[in-house]
Amino acid sequence: MSRLGDIPIRIERPDFAAMAGTIGGGVTAILAEIAALLDRLAAGDEPQAIDLKSLPMNPGDREQLIEALGSGEVAITLYADGESTIRETGVHGVWWTEHRDGDGEVTAAFIEIARVPGILIVDSDELQRGAERLRSAIGATRSSE
Amino acid sequence: MPEYQARQTIGELLDRQGISRRAFIKYCTAMASLMALPPLAGRAMAEQLRAARRPSVIYLSFQECTGCLESLTRSFSPSIENMIFNVISLDYDDTLMAAAGHRAEAARDQAMKANYGKYLVVVDGSVPTADGGIYNCAAGRTAVDILTETAKGAAAIVCVGTCSSFGGIPFADPNPTGARPVSDLIGDKPIINVSGCPPIPEVITGTLLQFVTTGQVPDLDEHRRPKVFFGNTIHDRCYRRPFFDQGKFAKTFDDEGARNGWCLFELGCKGPTTYNACATTKWNGGTSFPIESGHPCLGCSEPGFWDKGSFYAALSTGTFGRAGNLTPRDAAKLGGAAAATGIAVAAGATALARHRRKVRMTDIQTADTQKEE
Ligand code: SF4
Repeated sequence: MSRLGDIPIRIERPDFAAMAGTIGGGVTAILAEIAALLDRLAAGDEPQAIDLKSLPMNPGDREQLIEALGSGEVAITLYADGESTIRETGVHGVWWTEHRDGDGEVTAAFIEIARVPGILIVDSDELQRGAERLRSAIGATRSSE
Repeated sequence: MPEYQARQTIGELLDRQGISRRAFIKYCTAMASLMALPPLAGRAMAEQLRAARRPSVIYLSFQECTGCLESLTRSFSPSIENMIFNVISLDYDDTLMAAAGHRAEAARDQAMKANYGKYLVVVDGSVPTADGGIYNCAAGRTAVDILTETAKGAAAIVCVGTCSSFGGIPFADPNPTGARPVSDLIGDKPIINVSGCPPIPEVITGTLLQFVTTGQVPDLDEHRRPKVFFGNTIHDRCYRRPFFDQGKFAKTFDDEGARNGWCLFELGCKGPTTYNACATTKWNGGTSFPIESGHPCLGCSEPGFWDKGSFYAALSTGTFGRAGNLTPRDAAKLGGAAAATGIAVAAGATALARHRRKVRMTDIQTADTQKEE
């Protein structure tokens, strides 16, 4: 048993019906917010995201949310200073993103409502640097001929 | 500080070190989440920071245990730990720097001259003022002297930890060294308090990042703490809150309630009156925080927390506060929580706690009488 998560814990689920409107019972509210953000994206608004780390969720809530969204067609692994996973859920345009550091600890977790996750898009500087790199590689090959 | 470091942008430095734009966006996204900004704001922050220049930082350590610096440098994975040192230029820190003696002091002088009016001073530890300040000296000079001189050319001062923010442990009764917080000694510079014993490392780096990104002092609460990190109480964001709301409390550390993860209010939890980000940011890279590990919050980020009575007495027993009472803000907060969640439950808990206090007082009086006899 090397990690805290390996210690078995018993979770008593609070009575959500009795505490509607208080912190902790928010799975339905999150789903409603995602639906509203999808509407706005379809109408031409900017992509948005819901931060999963700042929501005071019980472990049970998280599972409920994952179950409600389902799994989709796309799964992306990003290797940049630790492994990140970006998965499209069963709802098109709803991406479950988890960024991890070099030790595998989750540093950011959010649901992105976007056509394509923004972190994948390459910026113009990078395109130019890529082109320069290729040209200098071609130059080096030619001069060695 | 080498001149190139002052001129180059953070982006240029990251490129030189092979840290990709996406890796930096990931870091900024994590930081944005800590600052309660929308996660996608991390992208804009990353672009802004890449274009900014690294500010010079002078880190002064006074009456402290080095826990705050340990918190900052040891709790992240190495890659994240390094990231903040890519964003700032740490030009003087007598605990971390390889140089010692005159060379170390020369580094501070040089950083001050080269960046006068622009550098950030980070202070860790309270400042002893009794007996001419002799209880904390370096290079033959008192902490008061070093702080006053270094503060003169600073753009702002960031107090890291409860000691520099509010006096902390050295300030606790009877305060033999005449320890003072920085804000008692420096009146003409913006001061940002990042309290906690120690502060959460991400809160320290987040505060520094926010200053570098915007070039401005963030919104502060009445104790000069950044509202983004200290805007909510632990209780506001505690995952055990549903149990508080339902009146389910652990009564001892090993009873059924404790095993079920019920609220720790009756075991002395100071969460309702403590402003900090532990419940959301957590500790050790997001692993856990004291309440999640089954221990009540001690209230370590609040002024005078060492002198506020037992860590294990419920807030409703009224022992929290120097005068033995809740501050009006504390009382309002508790009252607010009760109003929002069912006064009957909270009132029941309070009555129970009051009853316990009576028992305790009776015990004490009996013990005293026995002593006198
Ligand atoms: S009293 Fe403490 S344990 Fe209980 S809900 Fe509030 S912060 Fe959490």
